[in-house]
Amino acid sequence: MLDTLQKCIDYGEKLGANFVEARYDDLTLRTLDRSDDTWKDIQVKSRTGIGVTCYIEGVSGYSFSSGITLKDIRAATLKAFRMARASVPSAKLKLPFAKAKAVKSRPSDTLRPAVHPSQRDLTFKTDLVNRMVQAAREHGANIRNVRGLYGELYGKKVLANSDGSEIDWDFLVTDLRCIVTSKTDAGALVVGAEGYGGSVGLEHYGKKGKTPDEMGQEAGSRAKEQLKAEACPGGKFRALVENRLVGVLAHESFGHLSEADFVVTGASPLTDKIGTRLGSDAACIVDAGTPDIKTYGGLWLPFDDQGVRTGLTTVLDKGVLTHYLHNRGTAQKLGQRLTGNSRAVSFLFPPIVRMTNTYFLPGDLTEEEALEKLGTGVYAIQSEGGQVEGDGSFLFIAIRGYWVEGGEIKYPLREVALSGNILDLLSHIEGATKDFEITSGYFGGCGKADQFPLPVGLGGPKLIVDGVTFGGQA
Amino acid sequence: MEYEDVKDELLSVLDTGLKFATRLDKSAEYEVYLYYRNVARAEIDQGVVTAKDGIVAGNAVRAAKGKRIGFACASGVSAERIKVSVKEALSVVNGVTAEDDKFEGFCEAKKPGRECKFSKEILSIGVEDLLHHGQKMIDEARQVDSRVKVVGTQCSASWGAFAVGNTRGLQRASRSGRNVCGVDVMSIEGEERKTASKYDAACDRLFTTEGLGEEAAKDAIKQHGAKKLDSTAVMPTLWKQEAAASYVLIGIGQGVLGRAVVEKTSPLCDRIGDSVASEGFNLEDDGQRVDGLGTESVDAEGLPQQKNIIVDSGTLKMFLFNSYYGRAFGVESTGNCSRGAPVFGEVTPYESSITVFTKGLAVAPGSKTLDELVSSVDGRAVLITDPPIGVFHSDPSTGQFSVVAKSAYLIEGGAVKHPLQPVSVAGQFYEGLKNLAGIGNDVKLSPYGPRCPSLLFDGFSVVG
Repeated sequence: MLDTLQKCIDYGEKLGANFVEARYDDLTLRTLDRSDDTWKDIQVKSRTGIGVTCYIEGVSGYSFSSGITLKDIRAATLKAFRMARASVPSAKLKLPFAKAKAVKSRPSDTLRPAVHPSQRDLTFKTDLVNRMVQAAREHGANIRNVRGLYGELYGKKVLANSDGSEIDWDFLVTDLRCIVTSKTDAGALVVGAEGYGGSVGLEHYGKKGKTPDEMGQEAGSRAKEQLKAEACPGGKFRALVENRLVGVLAHESFGHLSEADFVVTGASPLTDKIGTRLGSDAACIVDAGTPDIKTYGGLWLPFDDQGVRTGLTTVLDKGVLTHYLHNRGTAQKLGQRLTGNSRAVSFLFPPIVRMTNTYFLPGDLTEEEALEKLGTGVYAIQSEGGQVEGDGSFLFIAIRGYWVEGGEIKYPLREVALSGNILDLLSHIEGATKDFEITSGYFGGCGKADQFPLPVGLGGPKLIVDGVTFGGQA
Repeated sequence: MEYEDVKDELLSVLDTGLKFATRLDKSAEYEVYLYYRNVARAEIDQGVVTAKDGIVAGNAVRAAKGKRIGFACASGVSAERIKVSVKEALSVVNGVTAEDDKFEGFCEAKKPGRECKFSKEILSIGVEDLLHHGQKMIDEARQVDSRVKVVGTQCSASWGAFAVGNTRGLQRASRSGRNVCGVDVMSIEGEERKTASKYDAACDRLFTTEGLGEEAAKDAIKQHGAKKLDSTAVMPTLWKQEAAASYVLIGIGQGVLGRAVVEKTSPLCDRIGDSVASEGFNLEDDGQRVDGLGTESVDAEGLPQQKNIIVDSGTLKMFLFNSYYGRAFGVESTGNCSRGAPVFGEVTPYESSITVFTKGLAVAPGSKTLDELVSSVDGRAVLITDPPIGVFHSDPSTGQFSVVAKSAYLIEGGAVKHPLQPVSVAGQFYEGLKNLAGIGNDVKLSPYGPRCPSLLFDGFSVVG
């Protein structure tokens, strides 16, 4: 396939493009979805196709095809070229970039887990889900529904471009999740959830805390605990924010603002703020394509979809903004190094600036010390998602929480919504714990423009934050 | 493929796929779904242009032996790619013992409904046209005020068809298209950044950009000078059309879907015949509206789409089903079989197995203008003009929500006083519907599907 893609690079350049990149995906996706005793979905998806971007004077045109013959790819190249040419007059802001040194992928760019999902049959995977659902039932109460999910996405990603790069590596992500819905005596529905996902082989689901039995037990127990949980009071409180929710905070509230496509247009409040103190010393945020998966988890992504090798970008260093996340054009425009953050959700889309694994760095507190330092406030745990606006306003929903007084957990809270402005919040981070993890997954993912869901990694330690607004009962 | 013959071509290859599947293993029954859509899209984001043009095409196959079902899909609609899916779906069925107790087979053919009214002018829209329209909206917005610093536009045109058939003799296809334009404006004054968006979408005419840029710019600018609400209290909230539509979509639109009802994750699942909203509240899902963006002659399993009255004068009348969940609930399909969630811009429906979704959710208009709703408020209230942050992350199964209204205004003494800094609004969706204090007569199509008037709710907690 690399040869075919290279022929189209030559073709695009002959047409007059300054730079051409051609991608080929051959990905397999598998979803298992069990609801109570019924298998809702046992699916296999084959996602095969090509995408071609032509750049003229820093303006791009993109076309794609599920056909993968040379004829199909040449046709897409011609379309992409024509669109780029037609777009040049409308582009008031052009983002040209210089060619870079050619990149060649190595065998070590592909993760080789002990048990790749392609090495296990369907029965093995349905058994993982069955065990999880069973454990949830055993440890839950007043259950209305138990849902067990397994997902895997793996396969080839191939890219050639005008740098002369030849990239061929295998993507991998697996995911196992359990959601328990219970009903209180008063008739309200409550939820308990647990799961784990990332660029890991199936052997990972045999590790302590990650087995289907333990994750099912956790989901069931949490739903049971929620039966007696109270509504979160509304107002401003101190907060201890748990690792997974911290990850969402890093990604949604700050990560998106640091994406340089928002910066070059002036839409991001981080525009022109390099070197500015935005947070406390405890606020350190990093984006990295190839974290230590075995130790911390996360998503393995050695290259972006423009053929740039990913690296580690410290975005916020002890509260000071140090770098943005870039595609080739924004990096050149803002005079920063390439970060490998140009990604597309599939061959149907052009690459745009996206995150890889985004996380807060850990501190030195234990959980007990963090609770003590919290004093009185809300311990917010797990995330049901979140949203940020262009000015830094955010809202995140924690699946559950606890009310804490004098450093002691007093009683469980139902769904907790945290809101505020990230630029205020960063300066109110008082400390971080030393436990640290990154999670990723097959289910859900990041949405930007019309591209959803893109697997990303996110994580961090637990953070103590003062003055968080909680939406709740007045 | 061309618009005129796209259905025939898909039906032809569908037939080939079904015949191949039957030859491969006669002991199974099959359903084949094909999707083909020509998409052109152009974005201008503060001068940066992104243009895209291509054909989204894919197939999906369900194979069943008794109560064992397998689903597989693949990009592409060629006979070869359908064969890939057929073989994979069969391997799933043959590879597992897991059964779906509720599965009673694929559906039988029924007389199809009608397709949406489609303007063939949409067929000729190219990327250059889309860029031209985007630039017009930008120019309009920038002329309003120098504080308009960031303007982005998105214009797209698409047309295509899907075909679905099964080994019970059903073979149907439906054709549709649309064009959409939108503009996002950010006005900056000091550290204050205010945003607003406007939108137009249609299948039966070309979109209209005129006025959108100007309106968005004016809406963004008038939010400057926002003051703190400075209180935590229970008070009325007036949700303008698009904000109200987000409430309706999540707050009741998800709770009436067959899956949530059968799986008992909807608080409404045993409430048919009960009063679930104030008396003036009427909700329908119309999959046959002539100019409806979700209108097709058949749904994603080939059954006719129809108009369904969900809530009549506050009373819950019905839920929405496909044939699978309908049988499980003991009723007929309501023509709401979907693949993915179309209102959220599903790009590759062939990658999703069947589910249930709304086709054209709409709240009937009330009698009051927005001004009359404002003046009907005693004391203080908050006007919410755009979908609040977090509304789409709320859990429809619990109904609890806590959102942040970023575009909000204080109502006091029956008049809109001034813009507010973001306020947090929390409550329970289903309780809120029972506390509806007013329904506007200003029904509007929202970008994510529902047609909705402004809604005035009482009893939510507001923190500001």
